Amino acid sequence: MAGITAEASWFCCGNAWGPCGSAGHGACGTCNSGSMQHAWPNTSDACYAITRPDSCGITGMSRRTCGFRHATTSLCTGKRIVTSIADCGPQTDLFCGERSCCGGNCASNRVIDFTPAAFSALGLSLSSGLSPVSIDVA
Amino acid sequence: MTSTMDRRSLLSRAALGATGLVAATAMGSLAPETAFAATQQFADAGQPDPNFAEGLIMGRNQDLLQVQGSDGRLHRIQLTGVTSVWKLRPTTIDQARIGDGLYARGVLLPDGILAAEAIWVNIVNLTVAITAIGRNGVQLDHHGQKVVGHVQSGTTAAVYNGTPAVSDLSMLKVGRHAQVIGAWRPGTNEIDIATIYTSN
Repeated sequence: MAGITAEASWFCCGNAWGPCGSAGHGACGTCNSGSMQHAWPNTSDACYAITRPDSCGITGMSRRTCGFRHATTSLCTGKRIVTSIADCGPQTDLFCGERSCCGGNCASNRVIDFTPAAFSALGLSLSSGLSPVSIDVA
Repeated sequence: MTSTMDRRSLLSRAALGATGLVAATAMGSLAPETAFAATQQFADAGQPDPNFAEGLIMGRNQDLLQVQGSDGRLHRIQLTGVTSVWKLRPTTIDQARIGDGLYARGVLLPDGILAAEAIWVNIVNLTVAITAIGRNGVQLDHHGQKVVGHVQSGTTAAVYNGTPAVSDLSMLKVGRHAQVIGAWRPGTNEIDIATIYTSN
């Protein structure tokens, strides 16, 4: 699959405070909020059955497993980071057609979820919640 | 939040000034430029980012926070005049209080203090199902756990399928899934809602 433009969000994982306290270390067992990691919607058959990006019209999404590295560039800040898969997600099918824009750069559908460390390393505020990004193989 | 070189350099200078470390070593390794240069080396994929911290605020000495990381590590986080602070809304550094949770991004100085460029206090980002809607809030199901979401007049906003944020929450519907950015009320299962993203 070639590079894709999509929405990115963030999620907590690993040991945490507050409502995140029960999040756990994710499908790969390695996820931590402070690490440079992300969730991917097609890490396994079971994962894909939950996230269902195809229901949003996204076809041909590559199967990539724990530890696989993606390079992501924020379409808001231009910053680029490299992170590795640590969990299954986001649940793309819950937000089909959702669109976020930044300075005229727009993207639809949630395809990647970052840890707080990674999302903020893109130069994005955690309070923004969503952002358009470009995703490639690292 | 911006992260230009000027801002990071300014941040380092502010933090170093605040902690009185400017002329601290004969090696000169504490110069702001040194601290900033170190931040240009991003953490490897999958590894902890040394320029990021999370945990609960256990102590505060003026603008230096003692934070107990959820993984057990201790962090010292220096707030400065250029630190941006979010606690339900953009606010001031005095609003970071003992017992609060936080995420912080900044510059890790050679003495182990994280000079904070930004902190997000009590921030949560939850994927939930809406189970009930009341006059002043919504009941949420977060992976089987009940979370009470309070509406804060003048702050809480809704985004319906990517439309611009509005204060009108009337299109929220029971049974719908949503993503909620909010501020946790420490020690409870309650949050104040900043933004709720959902379909209509």
